[in-house]
Amino acid sequence: MTQLTTERPQTAGTLLPVRRIRVAGVFVIALAAVVLLAGVHLTQGTSSVGTGDLLRLVIGQGTDNSANVLVASRLPRLLAGVLVGLALGVAGAGLQSLARNALASPDTLGVNAGAYLAVVAVAAFGVPLPVLPAGGVAFLGGLAAAVLVLALSAGGTSGPTRLILAGSAVAMALSGITTLLLLLFREETVGTFAWGSGSLVQTDLDAVGQMAPVVVLGLAASLWLASRLDILSLGDDTAAVLGVRVRRTRVLITLVTVMLSAAAVTVAGPVGFVGLVAPVLVRLVAPLVPGLMRHRVLLPMSGLAGILVVLLADVVLRALLGGQAGVEIPTGIMTMLVGAGVLVWLARRYRDSGPSRTPAGASSGLRSTRSFWIAVGVLSALLVGALVLAMLAGDAFLRTGDITNWLSGRSGRAITYVLDQRFPRVLSAVLCGAALAIAGATVQAVCRNPLAEPGILGITGGAGVGAVVTLMVVPSASIWLLSGVASAAALATFALVYLVSWSGGLSSDRLVLIGVGVSSATTAIITFVIVYTDPWNVSMAMTWLSGSTYGRTLPQVVPVTVALLVLTPVIVLARRELDLLSLDDDVPRILGVRLERTRLLALAAAALLTSAAVSAIGVVGFVGLVAPHAARALVGGHHSRLLPVAALLGAVLVSVADTLGRTLLAPAQIPAGLLTAMIGAPYFVYLLWRTRTTKA
Amino acid sequence: MRRITALAATLLLALTACGSSETPEPAAAEASAEPVSLTDARNKKIDLPAPATKVVGLEWGVVEGLITLGVMPVGVADVKGYSTWVTAAKLDPSVKDVGTRGEASVDAIVGLDPDLVVVTTDESASTIAQIEKAATVLVVRGADAANPIPQLKKNLELLGAAVGKSAQAAEANAAFDRALADGRKKIADAGKAGENFTMADGWKQGSSISIRMFTTGSMLGAIAGELGLKNSWTGAGDKDYGLAQTDIEGLTKLPDGNFLYIASTTDGGDVFGGDLAKNAIWKNLPFVKSGNVHRLPDGIWMFGGPKSMQQFIDATVQAVTS
Repeated sequence: MTQLTTERPQTAGTLLPVRRIRVAGVFVIALAAVVLLAGVHLTQGTSSVGTGDLLRLVIGQGTDNSANVLVASRLPRLLAGVLVGLALGVAGAGLQSLARNALASPDTLGVNAGAYLAVVAVAAFGVPLPVLPAGGVAFLGGLAAAVLVLALSAGGTSGPTRLILAGSAVAMALSGITTLLLLLFREETVGTFAWGSGSLVQTDLDAVGQMAPVVVLGLAASLWLASRLDILSLGDDTAAVLGVRVRRTRVLITLVTVMLSAAAVTVAGPVGFVGLVAPVLVRLVAPLVPGLMRHRVLLPMSGLAGILVVLLADVVLRALLGGQAGVEIPTGIMTMLVGAGVLVWLARRYRDSGPSRTPAGASSGLRSTRSFWIAVGVLSALLVGALVLAMLAGDAFLRTGDITNWLSGRSGRAITYVLDQRFPRVLSAVLCGAALAIAGATVQAVCRNPLAEPGILGITGGAGVGAVVTLMVVPSASIWLLSGVASAAALATFALVYLVSWSGGLSSDRLVLIGVGVSSATTAIITFVIVYTDPWNVSMAMTWLSGSTYGRTLPQVVPVTVALLVLTPVIVLARRELDLLSLDDDVPRILGVRLERTRLLALAAAALLTSAAVSAIGVVGFVGLVAPHAARALVGGHHSRLLPVAALLGAVLVSVADTLGRTLLAPAQIPAGLLTAMIGAPYFVYLLWRTRTTKA
Repeated sequence: MRRITALAATLLLALTACGSSETPEPAAAEASAEPVSLTDARNKKIDLPAPATKVVGLEWGVVEGLITLGVMPVGVADVKGYSTWVTAAKLDPSVKDVGTRGEASVDAIVGLDPDLVVVTTDESASTIAQIEKAATVLVVRGADAANPIPQLKKNLELLGAAVGKSAQAAEANAAFDRALADGRKKIADAGKAGENFTMADGWKQGSSISIRMFTTGSMLGAIAGELGLKNSWTGAGDKDYGLAQTDIEGLTKLPDGNFLYIASTTDGGDVFGGDLAKNAIWKNLPFVKSGNVHRLPDGIWMFGGPKSMQQFIDATVQAVTS
């Protein structure tokens, strides 16, 4: 089996002798850095207590006030940071060894998302749990997510792309459900959504105190497993020969790492990407210090690195934006931005060692023209059905006669208005669905990866950042300005992803990995902008992070209509080239296709289509992924057939999701994007499951 | 494929179940009352053929105002939340819920066929545009941190003009002024004029507590100022509601004085009386030590109209002079 895991630093590292003095030196330096950062951390806060007050406290001349601030606010926050960093750092290193994959972490394996969902679900259903049982629930949630992702990616050994795709899809679906719960149970969860990004604000030491033993236990257990992990890194077979029970060790390390991550989530919510960054930092130092990659050194060292990352993020955040920012802006946003950068950097270092999967179109075989026309006929009927249903359903259920009256201009006042306002929502759902599906089909062909989509490449997120920033600067921005800036931002983000992944040629895997990193960064930026400028505006956050047709008017639908009218012909004209591109690099070259130019053009068209859709209804995930894939299953991989069928499917999917969102809990509304994630993610998981490769 | 065909067939069958929810447009009844013309917070001129009687309110302060004026709204956003948080003016059981305050259902609103929909400037322009196609929309400014009390009165006057109850609006505003003067006198008589005052509310997520401070620009802060109290929170808030955010540590900036807060037992609970009770900073804050922390009665809406504010005045006077 061809693999993308070209980098196995553990294998080389573990064989070197341990240089005790150098290792001890690194520990001392790291500890000193932690102490220094902790000192700075303690001087920051919303009260006037500063360095001087704390120093006087040390020499016994401090005031009660500064002592109280230290004990009841500064220390809890510091200790929460230390605990979270330690737990996530160790968990990240353990998961990376387990998956033999440098991109594994509590975030990329969905552990954080699963644990957080469990915590929110418990709160939503009104079970007031003390911290410890809440941690237990978080553990179960995280474990379920980790097991699912590991199963889908063959334990992570099937290559980083698959692991990342499985992890981010599962995390996306889980956070969709979390958002929905926060939305529906706003009273019970008292959810300003900032906490969902990981915040270190603590009021007492309860959470830290109760989770600390769990983390210590986890750390001890991971050290106990360390020597087995060393042997495991030589390969499963070698390890088995050497007497390590491979399966049991894997199960144990999964349990321990999930326990650590769940403890961190219980204390501070999902603090992003610390588990990914910390081991990378250690690996950077490793070449200078032989023996650092031994697990009994690597694990605690990664824990220290984790603490450094969290404290540094918190210190920098408050140094730049003031103590007040520490209350308003979740620390997790900072770590997520740093982590996204590290993810991109790691992805850049991967060399593509050859095709890692069957080309998108080839496996589906050819279908008859008849089945194509049947599919088009049936889907068109479904689309008409979905449209009619969408017009009928909602808060007030209408009858078809009402629509007939409306169409002929004979309907009464109330019904006219209901349909007049419903119509733009229905239309925007249908058009955006079609646009995202066409963009998705194009991206999949060009990336030659049936699991890619505009969202995963960061295009959707880039457009979202553009739109949110525009709305913050010019609240009354017209749809054209909004679309224009969103398109420019989408193209810029895409250009960034494209250029960064370019390394002597375009590797589609690298494109996907870097895209995932960049799209995480855009999510962090969108959250930051909303939290910083308008912390109580939950509706706005919903639109831009979940996608919603709420309050759409006809003028807002115009840009996406124009984009469809202009760009679809471009993509349709290139359908032959797309067919060839989705095979491999050589065939199109031999046939005289200008590979890079076609690729760039097609991707740019896809980016524009996506950004037009995003500026109309916000960020809607999974449509660009699921629709083309289902279309391929129905009519095969030829783009002349794939594109229309995918467009129809996308339109039906978003329309149905929107109808359900408007109807299920009426008069309350569920954003369409949350429902597409909930429909799309299980389908995606099924796709991954079907195409999984198990390692013999 | 067969399954899809079957599904499509079922759907198409469903569509043939035609009919209509209404008979085509009947002739409109002639209006008899005087037309109303006014200018709202957008500087938009609003013309009504007659004072509005079927009114939908999407913000609770506006709803309270309508009821104060004697016009029971036909639709309100988040009826359950209103009943929990606003007790100054009770809703009739007949009032329809039209969805959440952030994203009210336009379907539900127009389904009520209102003469007038009242929203605040917090509503997005596109939502306003959409409702506007169905009904006349009156936009009032949610709040103005530069001018809180005049804004409060102006909003009620605007509402009064729209529903033909200008006299009642003037009377309610006058009653508010009397309550304010009365409260000021009581505080002065008790020798409490010039005392420090802090107003807050708070909530808990996980193990972190968020505290919201009411600055001098907030309605409650401004009223306390009129009562002769001195707001201890000197930081700035947002430009409309005058709210600021802080954590427990931020409270150490406050001097001794009256610490007032509002919580709701049925919605979120009492962080100051419960969660913070054993916190070292909280226990040692001067106003906690001197027993000057007062939980105001539940159900005083902090962003309400004159009636809620009268409740607040009474509760504050009671707390400060006790």
